[in-house]
Amino acid sequence: MIGPARTLGPGSTPSTREALAALAPWWRVHERYRRRLLLGVVLMAMTALSALGLLAVSGWFITASALTGAALAAGAVAVLDVYTPGSAIRLFAVSRTVSRYLERLYNHDTILRLLASLRGSAFASLVSMDPARLAARRSSDWLNRLTADIDTLDALYLRLAAPPVMALLLIVALLGITLVWLPGATPWLALLLLTGWAWLTLGQARWGLVASRRRVTTLEALRSSLMEALRGHAELEAYAALGHVREQLEAVEARLLADQWRLAVISAVGNALAVLVIGLAWLLLLAMGMLALRDGQLSGPMLVMLPLAAMALGEGLAGLPTAFSQAGATLGAAERLNDIEHAAGVVHGDARLSAGPISVSLEQVSYRYPGALFEAFSNVSLTVEAGAQVAICGASGAGKSTLAALLTGQTSLASRGLQIRCNEQQGGGTEEQGGRVLLNGREVHHYAPLAIAEGVGCLTQQVDLFDASLADNLRLGAADADDAALWRVLAAVDLADWVASLPQGLATRVGEGGRQVSGGQARRISLARLALTNPGLVLLDEPFSGLDATTAQRVAQGLADWLAGRTVIYLLHEHDLAAPRPGTEAVTRVCWLDR
Amino acid sequence: MAITDLTQGAAQEAPTSAAGNDTARASVSDDSVTGKERDKARRKAAGKWLSQQATRERRLLAMAALCGALAGLATVAQLVLLAWLVTQVIEQPAALARLWWPFGGLVALLAVRALLSAAQELCAQKASQRLRQRVRRDVMDHLQALGPVRAAQFHGADVAQRWVEQVEALEGYFARFYVQLRLVLISPLVILAIVVSQDWLAAILLALTAPLIPLFMALVGMGAESLNREQFVAVARLSRHFVDRVRGITTLRLFGLGEQATQEVTLVADDYRRRSLRTLRLAFLSSAVLEFFSSVSIAVVAIYIGFGLLGDIPFGPAQSLTLFSGLLILLLAPEFFQPLRTLSQHYHDRASALAAADSLLELFDTSVAPARQASTMASASVSLPGDVMLQLEAVTLTHPGRGRVLGPLDLTLKAHEVLVISGPSGAGKSSFLQLMAGFVAPDEGQCLRRDTTGLAWMDQRPLLMQGSLADNLRITAPDASDDAIVQALTSAGLGEVLAALPQGIASPLGEGGRGLSGGQAQRLALARVFLSDAPLVLLDEPTASLDADTEQRLIAGFQVLAEEGRTLVIATHHPALRAMATRQLCLTRDGVVGTTGETQDSGEGAS
Repeated sequence: MIGPARTLGPGSTPSTREALAALAPWWRVHERYRRRLLLGVVLMAMTALSALGLLAVSGWFITASALTGAALAAGAVAVLDVYTPGSAIRLFAVSRTVSRYLERLYNHDTILRLLASLRGSAFASLVSMDPARLAARRSSDWLNRLTADIDTLDALYLRLAAPPVMALLLIVALLGITLVWLPGATPWLALLLLTGWAWLTLGQARWGLVASRRRVTTLEALRSSLMEALRGHAELEAYAALGHVREQLEAVEARLLADQWRLAVISAVGNALAVLVIGLAWLLLLAMGMLALRDGQLSGPMLVMLPLAAMALGEGLAGLPTAFSQAGATLGAAERLNDIEHAAGVVHGDARLSAGPISVSLEQVSYRYPGALFEAFSNVSLTVEAGAQVAICGASGAGKSTLAALLTGQTSLASRGLQIRCNEQQGGGTEEQGGRVLLNGREVHHYAPLAIAEGVGCLTQQVDLFDASLADNLRLGAADADDAALWRVLAAVDLADWVASLPQGLATRVGEGGRQVSGGQARRISLARLALTNPGLVLLDEPFSGLDATTAQRVAQGLADWLAGRTVIYLLHEHDLAAPRPGTEAVTRVCWLDR
Repeated sequence: MAITDLTQGAAQEAPTSAAGNDTARASVSDDSVTGKERDKARRKAAGKWLSQQATRERRLLAMAALCGALAGLATVAQLVLLAWLVTQVIEQPAALARLWWPFGGLVALLAVRALLSAAQELCAQKASQRLRQRVRRDVMDHLQALGPVRAAQFHGADVAQRWVEQVEALEGYFARFYVQLRLVLISPLVILAIVVSQDWLAAILLALTAPLIPLFMALVGMGAESLNREQFVAVARLSRHFVDRVRGITTLRLFGLGEQATQEVTLVADDYRRRSLRTLRLAFLSSAVLEFFSSVSIAVVAIYIGFGLLGDIPFGPAQSLTLFSGLLILLLAPEFFQPLRTLSQHYHDRASALAAADSLLELFDTSVAPARQASTMASASVSLPGDVMLQLEAVTLTHPGRGRVLGPLDLTLKAHEVLVISGPSGAGKSSFLQLMAGFVAPDEGQCLRRDTTGLAWMDQRPLLMQGSLADNLRITAPDASDDAIVQALTSAGLGEVLAALPQGIASPLGEGGRGLSGGQAQRLALARVFLSDAPLVLLDEPTASLDADTEQRLIAGFQVLAEEGRTLVIATHHPALRAMATRQLCLTRDGVVGTTGETQDSGEGAS
């Protein structure tokens, strides 16, 4: 979105330009809501101005009343309009409450709208992201980014943009008042308040930037280190290495605590400065007011009103230092989300795939995961004629799933971003990924994404079912399939009887991630889902794992008709042509990835 | 608005459909009475735990409260001085020259106030930091006490989320809410006392709102609580949807449904917005009420004082009001409400701390009984005969929810033996090995291991840490030399791999060992065994789901270990490994020994 990103180390200080550049894409999303955001600031300012008015007018009124009262008692003729200030006081009291309530409600509405659209666009980026990069992190990490980081972005408006504007409006209002009644004090007051405002916002942000940005990274490091230690709990305990690992974790935690303490000091200093700035402002007005009063240039009530108005600055300035000391966290979140944006985008053309079986050929294909020590596979060449049924074998980690991702256009050998990242991590090593992947004689990335989605069907190793009804899950394959079609494919995978026995039948919900069904059932449901589509090439990654031999055979028989007339590639652990495992009898040729 | 607990739902894997159904039902049955009572009991327990924690940093927290109280008093003093000063100036403008001293007092009080509030903030922060550090340490101790087997009932991502995020969520409670709660009455009472001394009717006007204060608190509390609970349900729904879609992202792409899913995600997030606004409307109302009372009572007090000063109120104490007392009361009125307003701002800290405490308690509540170390190590060196490495006497093992998985079993393992354990899946082979390793304590019987006996462990999923190859090996022997590491890697059949790496043993492994294939990772685990000089080596299905080449290298490695004179216990089905056995033991499905056999060559003793 904003050109190539230079990935900054967590400890370095980004320049202002870099920081603004990282925030820019997210600020642009805000601009869609410009009117709502402006109105939000206006409501905020109304709240603060009402507080100012309430205190200032009350002070004026009390002093004026006292003076008038004293004059009356002394027998002089004195008149005080009590109705205007009286109703002003009541008005401010009510408007302060109402505008505050409206402001909170309105701004939260705006921010929730914003977050919804941010979430949508981040998800869209994830959808178009290269699976190799997607796989490089645990899905819980992506979730964290899409949730916690996006939530952190709400601070951009609610804590970083609106409050300083509101504080500035309040300052301008106060300067306006002094300009009328105590013009001599205005320049000094302006100097004090504007410098204070700049420090409490920009100064604090700058001061806390490194620590608050690094804090988030350290939290992530802490989380992943603990997960690592828990995965290796058995080995670590056996080798008596738990103590050592705990020391390492505590060292990371110490870094976190050091940053938090630094931030605590920064924001405590900021808060104390805010108290001082506000205090000095009203003391300044008081001192200069007293001099003006002596010289007869200012009335008693005005002497009281001005400092009281300055005290109301607290409404605007008090929250700034803490919010701005933490600005780095928002910046960090934006940077990480930009990372997703940059990662997105495997290039696709617009060619269509012709109907009927598809021929496949790989020419000298090598592939290496980002950050991997070795390529997943190298120099693989292979041709599968249209309509053939072959098995591609290799141990776990040999790259079968990567091959499937290449053939379905999920991963591209031409994605340059990937190679650059490889080189970075390998200290400038040579590119070890290349070759050509062809469908019907044309490279995969020449085809339109939808053409691939329709032309190439794939049963992935990890089966994804969604938290919806069985029918909904099946209809992902064909949105307009009628119930009869669903029953037909269920029968093909030998599930029709089971579904018929369920009280809710096709409407049965499968639970989150398909938890309410067994692993074998989930695999068969996804096979049925696949059987609703009409692809020319079918990739089956360990299609019968988790199924016992009899079931596997029955499912294979049920699907035989559907598979006939299509190119089929089985991705298997191992395969013996002489003694095929149940369900894979139709395979006529075996290719080995790692031999 | 935070949706950080997403991973929790994503992480836990429900074992079977039936159990999954039960948990789902349990979490949905909010309206049932027992569910509500249980909720209440849990909230209470969480609250109790929080205050227990607070006592561990009693002094710092008390110090923070003291600074806060003094800052409040300094504010009151400042306002009294201000009222006096202004009165003096207005009544005798000519006396200005005498008044610079009190003015200096105001400046000094301002500095004191700023310092005290900074001190309050820092003391409370320090306390909060130390408490969080301690809680983290407690969790670690607990996990360590639970051991690899019992701790594994929690998903790693889930534990990590609690250990990091949930502990962080305690921050505001100790740093802000806890201290503010102790301050909330101090300065209002002082202010009320001063106002009474000036004008009791004004004091009553302020105090009229005082009985409302508990009401505010309840309102604010209820608002925050209901906000929190309903928000929680909405967030859970949103996150479930989101987790579901992110996890299934590959499938969505394969079916060309990416765009449609994106629209759905946006729609669900928007639905979430509408639902949460409904709750927010109520929640904000409670703080609006607080705001309303404070604004209105300031206004009423101001108008009362104004008319009193004008002499329009011919009764009560209003007639004796002066400019000083009137100003003072007006200045103090906002301060009267300020502590409560601050508290209500921090209320959400309490709510999130309660939720965090609840999830941490769930972790602490998992019992560590039976204690592991005691039975494993105790007096073993005394009672074991010279060549016995390990002795199990009538041990049984029970897993919660699954009943007895193993035993009763007896076993005496002597030095230099190669014991192969086989049996159908589910017979408890792994549990048997875990018992021997002391990862879990037997429910009955005794498991004695020579306490000088080092232990090497290898299973199907070796630990691969972020760090260099050497770092990954050094967990077994922190002081190992580079040569020893190269030697161990070569013995494990990684010599060629090492030769292909320009950086050698300093080559970095990515997170989770990215960069190594499954076979290479397994050989790395073997290299660890070589590097450690542990005489007892426990191998849990070490060759499962590996290619033939790796398998052969591993078996050759195990043979070398046996020749070195190490004692090997291998849980396996692999014929070649079974051929290495000096003794075989076959478990039945019920977790008891079916057949045993002393063998030197293959075939015999196999069931």
